[in-house]
Amino acid sequence: MVVTRMGDGSFITLSKDEVRRDIEEGVADAVKRGKIEPLGADEIDHLVDICCRPQKFVSVEKGKELILSYDSGSLKITRLGIPIGMPQIMQLYERAFAADSLELAYVHYSFKPIKSIVPEEQYAVAETSLVTTAPLLYGAMPNLPLYTKPDGPCDNAAELLPAGKIDQARQAQEEAVEYAIKDMVFVSSGMYEAGADGIDFDTTGAAGDAEFYATLKATEKLREKYPDMAIEIGMAGEFVLGFHGQLEYDGVRLAGLYPHKQVKLAEKAGASVFGAVVNTNSSRSFPWNLGRAITFCKACVEAADIPVHANVGMGVGAVPLVMTPPIDCVSRTSAAMAEVGKLDGL
Amino acid sequence: MDNQEFINKVIESVISGDDVEAEALAKQALENNMDPLAVINDGYVVGIKQVGDMFEVGELFLPELIQAAEAVKKSTTILNEAITGGANKDKGKVLIATVEGDIHDIGKAIVLSLLVANGFDVLDLGRDVPTLDIITKAEEFKADVIGTSALLTTTMVRQQDLEKALRNEGLRDKYKTIVGGAPVTVRWAEKIGADAYAENAGEGVNKIISLIGK
Repeated sequence: MVVTRMGDGSFITLSKDEVRRDIEEGVADAVKRGKIEPLGADEIDHLVDICCRPQKFVSVEKGKELILSYDSGSLKITRLGIPIGMPQIMQLYERAFAADSLELAYVHYSFKPIKSIVPEEQYAVAETSLVTTAPLLYGAMPNLPLYTKPDGPCDNAAELLPAGKIDQARQAQEEAVEYAIKDMVFVSSGMYEAGADGIDFDTTGAAGDAEFYATLKATEKLREKYPDMAIEIGMAGEFVLGFHGQLEYDGVRLAGLYPHKQVKLAEKAGASVFGAVVNTNSSRSFPWNLGRAITFCKACVEAADIPVHANVGMGVGAVPLVMTPPIDCVSRTSAAMAEVGKLDGL
Repeated sequence: MDNQEFINKVIESVISGDDVEAEALAKQALENNMDPLAVINDGYVVGIKQVGDMFEVGELFLPELIQAAEAVKKSTTILNEAITGGANKDKGKVLIATVEGDIHDIGKAIVLSLLVANGFDVLDLGRDVPTLDIITKAEEFKADVIGTSALLTTTMVRQQDLEKALRNEGLRDKYKTIVGGAPVTVRWAEKIGADAYAENAGEGVNKIISLIGK
């Protein structure tokens, strides 16, 4: 029998056949939703093997290691209550946690609040860039709802839509997009000019298609302004929510796109790295979620012409939805992303 | 046009969110002496269920869902008036809110839209709603179900506070409770004593239907 977990982190015991069945069902769900190719029989065998290994921690063969990066890294150490500055946190990630790229971030982690403290953040970026060697990104979320009432000037689509005010809701989102683009370009430019190697648009699309659109347009403007700037677009979920429903980028309707189609638009806009996200279903088993996540991510990698780094953390990338992601699942997902998904990084 | 062709046109009007056509077909059904209840159940209800299925798989999005719901609401109002004794009774009253300290309301907006589309009487208290306000409004509204959403690990404890407050006030058995939100799981729902957990909006509607039992 195999000890594994549910997507909510609780332990369960499955037979090897049940593990295989759950993986196959997860693959089938991804195929149905994303209209993508299923994993091959040998790939499913490989996932079964990864799930059924008795070790608590599993890894990959030498030579199949992936690039490791961490989003909002500077916030996570601060949350532990350790009195330490940003440059030192970045050094910890670089020298103790084996990070291949670093992400400096402000506690509010959204472009709108950061725009008023850009000089302070520029100082942290400049200071960090002097004491680290790994590529240094500045990260924040587009966070479109901050531009809507009561937090911003635009009407709130989440209130207008249920009231049936569809045209007004769409117009409000389009207005918010303009504010968001302006802030993303302003803050990103400031950080790049202070010494950051690039920018990470994290949790993109959390507020739906309008937010994804804003990020693509901001990326486009930054790429034009800074041809050598590294730009990562990391998604919020596997699916672009159609909260506006009619927005298009490069002639493609954004609502309803899955990772293998999202990445093509990220490329078109000028992104250097794409952060694929697949949501964990907390009511299904880890093998089910693993089969599903790897199917989506593999399709994304096959479609991509830029590096794809999967998001493997709490509630995404098959990792259970618990505060401290369990290492048995995190290591299995990571190994599967490398060996079956053929990703470029995590 | 035979009955099935007519019903197909009704379904199509709902899927396309064409409220003008949907209303016109409702009036035409009455002029043709068709059974209004059958037109509702075989046409409008089937149409909105198909819309829900398309929404679930990402073939149709929130604005279209709302347009379809509006078309059904307007049309069934016309047909319901012709039904003696109000055969198409309300499905139940649902109060929903995003808990105190949490300003995320997009997921809740989807749940709200789906509930309305499915014929529930819904009171939306908005976001960042204190626990005691939820209880006070539930009493005033005479809710059958209280649904709460939390998007943060730091705010999901408010769902537990609601369960405790309902018990402390002696009101726990009066309401069914359902919880949802990004960090929320079935294990959390069981731990705090909620009656149900929903992974997504569609599941939320189905769970509420089961809870109310109408």
